[in-house]
Amino acid sequence: MKFNDTDIVNVVIAGTAGQGVITLKRLIEFAAQRTGAERILGAEHHGLAQREGAITSHTRYQRKLSENERKNIQSPLISYGDADLYICMEPVEALRQGIFASKKTTFTLNSHTIPGVMITAALEEYPSLKRIEEILMKYSEEVYFLNATELSLNYFNSNQYINIMMLGFAIITEKLPFIEIKFYEEVIKQWLRDPDKNIKALHIGIEEGKRIIKTLK
Amino acid sequence: MEKDFRFVRAKGKVLMLGNEALVRGCLEAGVSYVSQYPGTPTSDIGEYFHQVLNQNSEMKEYLIHQWAVNEAVATSACAGAAWTGCRSLNPMKHVGLNVASDALSVIALNGPNPGGMVISVGSDPGSLGSHQEQNERFYAWMLHIPTIEPHTPQECKDWIKIAFNLSEQYDLIINLRTSTRSAHSRGFVELEPLQKGKAKGEFVRNIPKFNSLPPHAINNHIRLYERIEKLRLDIPKLKLNKEFPGDNKIGVITSGIPFGYTVEALNQLNLNNVPILKLGMIYPLNDREIVHFIQNLEKVIIIEELEPFLESKIAEIAHNNKLNVEITGQKYFPKYNEYSSGLITTRLAEIFEKKPNETINRAIEYFNSYKEIIPSRFPTFCAGCPERATLYSILKATNHLENSVICGDIGCYVMSFFPPQQCSDLIICMSGGLSAAIGMSEKTDQKILAMIGDSTFFHTGMAPLAEAVGYNSNILLIIFENSWTAMTGHQNDVLRYLINQGFSIERICKAIGVPWLKIEDSYKPKRLTKTIEEALRTKGLKVIIVKRECGLQAHRWRTSQIRELKAKGEKIQETIYHITGCQLCHECSRILSCPAIRRVEVDGIETMQIDEDRCIRCGVCYEICPNKAIHKSIINAFETEVPFREI
Repeated sequence: MKFNDTDIVNVVIAGTAGQGVITLKRLIEFAAQRTGAERILGAEHHGLAQREGAITSHTRYQRKLSENERKNIQSPLISYGDADLYICMEPVEALRQGIFASKKTTFTLNSHTIPGVMITAALEEYPSLKRIEEILMKYSEEVYFLNATELSLNYFNSNQYINIMMLGFAIITEKLPFIEIKFYEEVIKQWLRDPDKNIKALHIGIEEGKRIIKTLK
Repeated sequence: MEKDFRFVRAKGKVLMLGNEALVRGCLEAGVSYVSQYPGTPTSDIGEYFHQVLNQNSEMKEYLIHQWAVNEAVATSACAGAAWTGCRSLNPMKHVGLNVASDALSVIALNGPNPGGMVISVGSDPGSLGSHQEQNERFYAWMLHIPTIEPHTPQECKDWIKIAFNLSEQYDLIINLRTSTRSAHSRGFVELEPLQKGKAKGEFVRNIPKFNSLPPHAINNHIRLYERIEKLRLDIPKLKLNKEFPGDNKIGVITSGIPFGYTVEALNQLNLNNVPILKLGMIYPLNDREIVHFIQNLEKVIIIEELEPFLESKIAEIAHNNKLNVEITGQKYFPKYNEYSSGLITTRLAEIFEKKPNETINRAIEYFNSYKEIIPSRFPTFCAGCPERATLYSILKATNHLENSVICGDIGCYVMSFFPPQQCSDLIICMSGGLSAAIGMSEKTDQKILAMIGDSTFFHTGMAPLAEAVGYNSNILLIIFENSWTAMTGHQNDVLRYLINQGFSIERICKAIGVPWLKIEDSYKPKRLTKTIEEALRTKGLKVIIVKRECGLQAHRWRTSQIRELKAKGEKIQETIYHITGCQLCHECSRILSCPAIRRVEVDGIETMQIDEDRCIRCGVCYEICPNKAIHKSIINAFETEVPFREI
């Protein structure tokens, strides 16, 4: 899908507490600002950051404003079925936020699962990755998995780079239009600790994206 | 990471959250005193003020931010600062307004002059970070507090400046009301120059103004009406309200975040000819402005979250002006939960008799077809949380709450009711649990337990404790002393100052006269269980102070100590817990329920496993495992041990 200048880009970012959902949302917004996007609006989920809960954020940007103000972004939240892209740090979180998806949606998911306390207690079941993929495939054919947790642990001996790897991976879907990679690098340098490692993580994600997404496309 | 210049640059266009923009607006308005009790969605306002003050120490000469002990104290403190001629800001969450309302009802009569005072109430439709939702806009009407509702971060910044000007000009407290969505959405903000606040003012005695007892109480009430009516007439000049014209005979009046949903919903339904009145000021309303918008319409839909505040006020205006126009809204929209573009699109399609939006309908339908299989992921206590460990001991000591009632309260332990622990029977408000326990213990012979954290204890907990001592109520009160206001994000609040000055909850309890008092450690669950059992056998008031630092902070502190020592070349003793021979009895996963423990399959056999990355080495699971399947290994046993710090 090709985006026109006045089109609204809608991104859902989901994960669990501590996976860097809000950080990733901010990076996309600050990078979109550097492309000269005329409007950016996005909602963050605060307040339960370290309590193991489900975290979601929406971000929306528009390169050029329409003359008719009623056609521009007015709400920080995406309407049902209107998301262009999902970036999910945890696979089942894509389902939890599924109401924003439709046939135009591309899904990028970290395949590493984080079962909640009810799963551990054997009081609920976690659906298989295959089942999650089947459900998402009924929205669109564009469902891509990457084990970002494993990659983050392998490369950096830490799970702190999942979000940036997933960003690199998502860039390859072309659902983050107008934002050049150098803009992400600039905002990483400005806003994150350990920018070198994060930029490396971004490029690992990009390379994985080229390997996985481009082949499947 | 560079210094955050967005708060101090003289000009430019920056991306800010609504709350960040609100703080920037205060810096542009010359605010010099801020007091608040933390609470979502307004806690981060204080965090930004602290960040700004830490990064720009020259501002400390005139700007003070204080974390108050509760909202009523914060509100009166802000009035005190305003009465010396300064500009003061008082943020609070929606339920905080209930606590502050006692003070506000009087300060509103007095008026904040010679200074200016703005409250910023963060509402929470949908209870995204709260224990209830309420339409606190009705306070605006009851206490005559003019209320402004921003929609974007730009409006947050610009309108808080307007709010301060109005407060000074009309001698009124103004509320800049946000909601979780407007406080926590990010967008562009055009900056204007900063303005220094007043370092010092002076209180000038004015007995009639500041002593609202008869006859001044009545005179101030009369004066309040004069002030509010003067503002009401001036509303059109403020340019806070905006009309979006259209030739449809049905129009919409809305405000704040629902305005955004409404515009997008109308656009999705190709209804861009519907006239919209976006109210920036929702109280008071200017009759002429409202009449001008509604007089030529057949029907006006009011779109507002929660109970119909605007609808009743606008219907009153239509009635008083004998207009033949239908004012409606609550008939079509829910009076609970937050709205969304999707919901508004669906309802507007019905009202305008349009074909429903297919994408939205399909999104709802398909989501509903699979949502049952999504496993729950509710917020829960962190790995190694001492409160979770205490709940374990309560469950054991009461034989899973047999013949017992647990009166919960507000703090991290508000999450106690979630499964699998389900260790809370009721939640009312800050310190409502202990208060309820007093009445309950008179009327039932069940065992009554109440829980309270240290920050809530200071907020409003000491008063019910004194009462429980006075009547020697048959209650076991468990005080979680973790030395942090943890639930709202560990603010450097008044509790920290008290701790630095050596206060002690134990001494307070003794001074009040608690007859039965024990100090325990939640990381010693077996001992704690015994103490709870003993307490429950004893008649009258019992207090157990469970002293153990918040696990998150304790772990942070210990990790940084270890890092420092390692950097100096010291070898550190390490403890690792691991599971072998698990019998799947689920003691650790269902009764303790620590998220560092996972259920996994190893070679096709189901077992429990400890996630080393998340485990903070509290050792509670090791002590409680009935089958001795949790093992402890010590590496470098003869090297330096770094235990958790004492509090």
